[in-house]
Formats: sequence, C-alpha cells, structure tokens
Amino acid sequence: MEFFLDILPHILNGLTIGLLFALIALGFTLIVGVMELINLAHGSLFALGAYLALATMSYLGASGFTSPTIFQYSAALVVAPIGVAGVGMGLELGMRRTYGKDPLYGLLFTFGAALVIEEGIRQFWGSNDLYFPTPSFISGPIILGDLFYPKYRIFASIFAIIMIILLWFFIERTKVGAIIKAGAHDSEMVRALGINLTVLRAGVFALGTALAGIAGIILGPIWGVRPHMGVDAVIPAFLIVVVGGVGSFRGSVIAGIAVGLTSGITAYFAEDWSILSIYILLAVVLIVRQRGLFGKASSLDT
Amino acid sequence: MTQILSKFRTDFIKMGLVFIFLATVPLWIGRIGLYDYIALEILIWCIYAMGYNLALGYTGLPSFGHGAFFGIGAYAMAIYQFHFGGTSLWIGLSLSILAGIVFGAVTGGLVSHRRGIYFALLTIAFGQMFWFLAIKLRDVTKGEDGLLNLERLPVDFGFFSIDISSSNSLYYFSLVIFVIVVVLLWLLIHSNFGYVIRALKQNETRAQFLGYNVRFFKLISFTLSCAISALAGGLFALAQRSAFPDVMALHWSGIIVMMVIIGGGMVSFWGPVLGVMFYFITRDIVGGITEAWLMWFGAAFMAVIVFQPEGIAGMWGNLSKRFQRVNTKTKLEEPQEAQHEPV
Amino acid sequence: MSLFEANHIHKRFGQQVVLENVNLSFEENKLSGIVGPNGAGKTTLFNILTGKYKPDRGQVVFDGMNITGLPIHKIAQLGIARSFQIMNLFDEYTVLENVMVALPGLRMQQYHMTHNVSTDSALEQEAFSILERIGLAEDAYAESKSLSYGKRRALEIGVALASHPRMLFLDEPTQGLGSEQRRHLMELIHIVKEDTTIVVIEHDMQFLMDIADVISVVLWGQVIATDSPKKLKMNWKVL
Repeated sequence: MEFFLDILPHILNGLTIGLLFALIALGFTLIVGVMELINLAHGSLFALGAYLALATMSYLGASGFTSPTIFQYSAALVVAPIGVAGVGMGLELGMRRTYGKDPLYGLLFTFGAALVIEEGIRQFWGSNDLYFPTPSFISGPIILGDLFYPKYRIFASIFAIIMIILLWFFIERTKVGAIIKAGAHDSEMVRALGINLTVLRAGVFALGTALAGIAGIILGPIWGVRPHMGVDAVIPAFLIVVVGGVGSFRGSVIAGIAVGLTSGITAYFAEDWSILSIYILLAVVLIVRQRGLFGKASSLDT
Repeated sequence: MTQILSKFRTDFIKMGLVFIFLATVPLWIGRIGLYDYIALEILIWCIYAMGYNLALGYTGLPSFGHGAFFGIGAYAMAIYQFHFGGTSLWIGLSLSILAGIVFGAVTGGLVSHRRGIYFALLTIAFGQMFWFLAIKLRDVTKGEDGLLNLERLPVDFGFFSIDISSSNSLYYFSLVIFVIVVVLLWLLIHSNFGYVIRALKQNETRAQFLGYNVRFFKLISFTLSCAISALAGGLFALAQRSAFPDVMALHWSGIIVMMVIIGGGMVSFWGPVLGVMFYFITRDIVGGITEAWLMWFGAAFMAVIVFQPEGIAGMWGNLSKRFQRVNTKTKLEEPQEAQHEPV
Repeated sequence: MSLFEANHIHKRFGQQVVLENVNLSFEENKLSGIVGPNGAGKTTLFNILTGKYKPDRGQVVFDGMNITGLPIHKIAQLGIARSFQIMNLFDEYTVLENVMVALPGLRMQQYHMTHNVSTDSALEQEAFSILERIGLAEDAYAESKSLSYGKRRALEIGVALASHPRMLFLDEPTQGLGSEQRRHLMELIHIVKEDTTIVVIEHDMQFLMDIADVISVVLWGQVIATDSPKKLKMNWKVL
C-alpha cells in the first residue's frame, strides 16, 4: 500500500504527460501523414506556444486591464496557438520548394527552423527559466487522503482529454476532417479528387503546429519555460508516431499515454533516467521496426 | 604514382594552396582582430567536418548525432590525462581514435541498415543517449562540470620533444594532422572502396545487385568518419584544456551538419572547410554586430536547403560552369522521357 | 541441364496471393522468356528469383545450390545479374563509371582503400569494351542522367552485362523503346546469348517470340504454359 501511494503520483504524472504527449503527437502525425514530412521544428513551436502565452499574459496584465489571471490565461490559450499557427504557415510556405525532393530536405529545413525559432526565442526573451503564472483556482494542491497532488496537473489532463475529443470529432465527423484523413492516407488521391492540396497542406500544418503550441502552453507551468524546452517534446512525439502508426489517431493517443506512463514510472525508480528511457525506446523501435509497423508505406520508408 | 599526380593535378594544386594558406594564418590572424585560439578552433573543426563529410557527402549517411563521437574523442584524451595521469600525446590521440572506432562501429552496426530519415532519427537517438550518459556518469566524466585542467602534451619523438602548449604551436601540430587526414581521405575517396561508397550513395539497390555488401560498406565508412571526428575531438580537448558534454548534444551535432551542407559538402571535397569558415566568420564577425548571429546562421542554412542545397562550393561550381558553357565542345542529346521515372 | 530452378514458389502480400505454386526451370545458355499481362505477378517473381524478396514457400536453386533467402549481394556474387524495369543507374556517375562499378575486377578488390580506380587502365579498357558492345563508347564521359532514354536503357543492360554474369535477368528491357532501338536491343541480346544464360520478362510477346528459346506464360500468379515459341503459338490457352 505504501508502495502504491509512493508510485501513484508518478503514475498520475505519467498519465498527464502522456495525454499531452498524445496531443503533441497528434499534431505531429497529421503533418507526417498529410505532408510526409518529419517536422523537427515541432518542439520549438511547442516552446513558442508557451512564450507567446506568457507574452500575451504580461501584455494583458500590463496594459492596465487589472484582469484576473484566469482571464489572461484563457486569452493566452486562444491567442498564442494562433500565433504559432501563423509561424507554422510561414514555415510551410518556405518549405514548398522542397516538396518534390528527397524527404531528407524537408527534415533538414525544419531542423534549421528549429534552431532559428529557438534562437529567436532566446533573443527575445532571454535564456533564463521563466515563471508561468496559473489561475488560482487550478493552482495549489488537491488533497486526497494522504496524497497531495497538484491541481494544475489534473486540469492539464482534463484539458488534454477535451482537446483530444474535440480533435476526434473534427477529424471523424466533419467534412474538412474527412479530407484531412484522406490526405493522410493518400495525398495523390486527394488531389485527383479536385481538392486543393496547397490549401490542405497549409491548413494541416497550421492545425498541427497550433496543437503543439497549445501543448506548450499547458506544459509550461509544469516543465518550466526555457528556450530549449522543445527538444524534450519533439523526440517523444516522433517515438509515439512510429510506435502508434503514422496517421493513426488511436495509435497516437494510446502510444502517447504509454510513453508518458513509461517515462513517469521510470522517474519513480530513477529520477534522472526517464528521458533516457525514451531515447532508448526510440532507438530500439527504429532498429527493429518491421516494414509493416507504419501501416501505410510512405515515401519515408526505404 | 606519377600517373595519379598528373591526372589529378588540379586537385593536388588546390590541396597545396589550401595547406599553404592555412600555414600562414597565425601570421596575420591577429591583424584582422581575431585571436590565435580562433585559428586553432577553426582548424580542429575542419578536421571534424572533413571526417563528418565522409559519412554525409560521400556515403549519403545523414548523421545528426556525430557530436557524440567528437565528444567521445575529447573525453578519451581527457580521461587518459585525468584518471590515468597520462603524459604521452601519441597514446592520448590514439585513444581518441580508438574510442571513435569502437563507439562508431557499435553505433554503425546498429544503424547502418537504415537510410535517409530513419537513419537520421536513429543517430539523433544515439547522440542524445551518449550526451545523456556523459552528463550522468559523473564518476567518469564529472558531468556538466567537465574534466578540467588538461595539459597540452608535448610532441615527443624520444630524443627530442616539441612543446605545443601555445596556441600557435598546437595549431601547427593540428595542421600536420589535418594534412595527413586530408590526404588519406582523398586517397580513400578515389580508391576502389571510395568508388563503391559513392556508387551506393547514388543507388544502394543497384550496388547490392552488383554484389556489394552495402551494409558493410556503410558500416566501415561510418566508423572511419567517427574515428576522424574523434581524433578532432582529442585535439579539441587539448585546445580547450578540458572536456565537456555539450558538444555531444543535438544542438552541436546539428551545427556540424549545417556547416557541412552550407559549405557544399554534398558536392565538393572542400565543402566542409568552406562551411566551417562560414560558421566562424558568422560567429565572430556577424556576432560582433548582433547577438542573434546563430539565428542568422540557421536562416542561411534554411535558405541553402531551399535554394541551393549544393552550398557555397556548389554556387562556385555553377558560376564557373556558366563561364565555361561558351567553350563546350560535346553536345549531348536531349533526354527523352518515354516513361515516368521515379526521382 | 537446368542451371536455375524455381520450385513451388508461393508468395502473398497481405491478403493477396501473388504467386501460387510457380515452377520454372531455365536451361543453361538458353534464353527463357516470361510473359504475361501486367499484374500477373511477373515482377514479384523476378524479385524472388533475384533475391529481393523471400518466397513464403518454395525454393530457388542455382547451379544445384539452394539460394532461397540469401542476401541480395551474395546472390549477385554467385554470378546472377539483373536489369531493372524502372531504371536503376548511378545518376551522378558517367556512363563509363556506371559500367566500371559493375566490373568483377573492381569487385574483387572492393575493399582496397588506396588503389586509385581512375588510373587503372586495365579496368578502363574492360569498361570500354563493354561500352562498345552496347554502342555507348562515344558517350563514355557523359553523365548518365544526361543521356537520352534509349541510351539509358542500353546502359541499364550494359551495367548488368559488365559484371560478367552466368545468368542475366532482364526486366522489361524494351520498355519505352522505339522500333529501331528495339532492333538494336535484339541484336545485342543475340550476341550476349552466346555465352550467358538469359531470362527475360516482357509483355511484348512479339519481341520474345523472336529471341526466346522457351517461354513461360504467367497469368494470375500461376504458370499456365511453358513451351517453345512455335508450340505456344499453336496453344489455344495462350491465345
């Protein structure tokens, strides 16, 4: 029982992180699926989300609004992802020339973008850790018997679940979602059906990066906000997509939670090594991966 | 021997010019407002980059984790001095090379059956793992504090030894290493082995069907590349008089990739050197104007990828081709596409 | 004497059975053809015969040796070469260099790290003689990607030839060729036929009729007939 109480917070942490990883992975897998591109800038955009949120909040706080944190936070949750999506669309625009070529070019481009965005953040906001204020009603701990657990993490989990459900509805139940799903499955076919592939790509990139940005806002208070926070978000996203299957909604969610839980539980046993476990898992999966693991054969497969 | 010299005259002239140019650098670097140490840094990174390009430019292996091997080489030299009180420069550098071979071969053995993006991502995973271990194994590496106060061990020939503790003398020692590495690389690339490597970069399937054990070739090439990078790392430890984990992180592994591509390593032997120069010019000259120099470097890289993936060397090549077009004698037939050929 | 045999080959991809109980044998120094409509499984069969895929069931035997499941390069080293339907050349290399890579002379010293290829006149001469055979000697120093389609096709076969194989597998060699080029190809194959065992996949029946000693007809993953061209012409099933 003692053991269970000790490990429970780690499991809950793992779950929270896992749900947010799932959200990041969903954005990531949409991009991989529709554009056959590994977006290494996903992490920096994740970070950018957190920073833009902070900027929004401090702007609202400073411009004489005397608004409660909850108002600022909510506004940030709306404004910042839009900003991130804008940057994302800018990236997509710049990348267009690489579309016909070896997908390695796209990877390199987004890698460069990751550096540029991270350095841009550093220039604008400095290298120090920043504090992310959260609305009071979700701050502080909740007390369940012997267990103290941060309210914010519960909020984060609930928020992630809601976002995932909303996203699911969007993809599965709307016409636009159906087009995206088709595009993830077979982009040639989609074009043949007369759908504007350029618009689709731009839209998917905007959506995918916005999701990364939102995840950044939610995780900001938990992980701390610093320019380099993106790397630890994008690598698990890739792992999740490889394990869960490209373009697979269910796969991303399940694998996301699994990876999060692994990381959380490893943290219980060896605090520092939880990140390493993700890299090891990624290496093992990539080395051993059967051809079929991806479900659809994409140009990424060799 | 003489046949090679005559057939590749331009190559050797270029090589000679580069070596002579580099030999003069310490004489004038002070006058353009830079320090001796920077010349040393640039030279070491040139060795690193040339080694790296064997994998990327010549074999088509996009390694995003090569910083790990540079760092391992540095740690080999550092651990030799720090934990074993080593005093022989030759042994220290040999250990660096050996570490590069061992870790390169192990990593290569696990990843060389992959290509393109998967290969790249695998190398990221391994690079991060090594970096992580360098930070965590504090007993060996002292973690983020690094291994400090290393000696620039003298060049000892038994009956006499040369002190290389000054930046300039270490520079000339490194230049000798650079010359040896460059010549050996050139020979390798033009050898049978190099021929096969370059072929498999262009078409791995065909090379397999011609009877070449492609995976083995990739492994050897990758390992050699790691060994050279590790040697550069050993020199780096001497230059810095210390070894830290940070060169092993994704950030720095990425920078060597960007340097080499910007310089034109994908198409040119000297591309990596051009790329290293470009980086350091950006750092020290643009850096003097703005703190955001790395951002501009990244932006330049993005522009190169989109507009000119052949880099600086490629641009130079295109310009000179344009001048030569007037003199072209052979006129080739227009290619006719009778079927859709995959790229 | 059959040099190469495929016995009871079964292959499925997912739910789809692509090849079912395929039995073929190829006699030494003869030219065997494999013909059938697109989607009949010919290319999969080829890929299995040359080692790219492993059959689910069945064996591939070369010169009495079971080569099923061997890695591609090992099979190639035994003396089996193939050309490809979708061209697989070394695009950055010149025509000459493309051929040189295939030469056994190079392959035997493939790990040599200092021997300079460009100054090896023996290798170069050998490569030139191959180029002359396929009519590309003039274009030796041209980049392979700048050649016309017909010449690239010739080079595609030339590279396979250059490895001095005992068996040559040609995958749709007439693809996209005009009648003049087709004639050239036929002449070339006639010359090569003298000392090499050849297997050709084609869906141009007429071309095969003119060069093959024996033809197997593949339909829906099965071999429905194997006979000499003359006899096949009279076989109602084939028509």
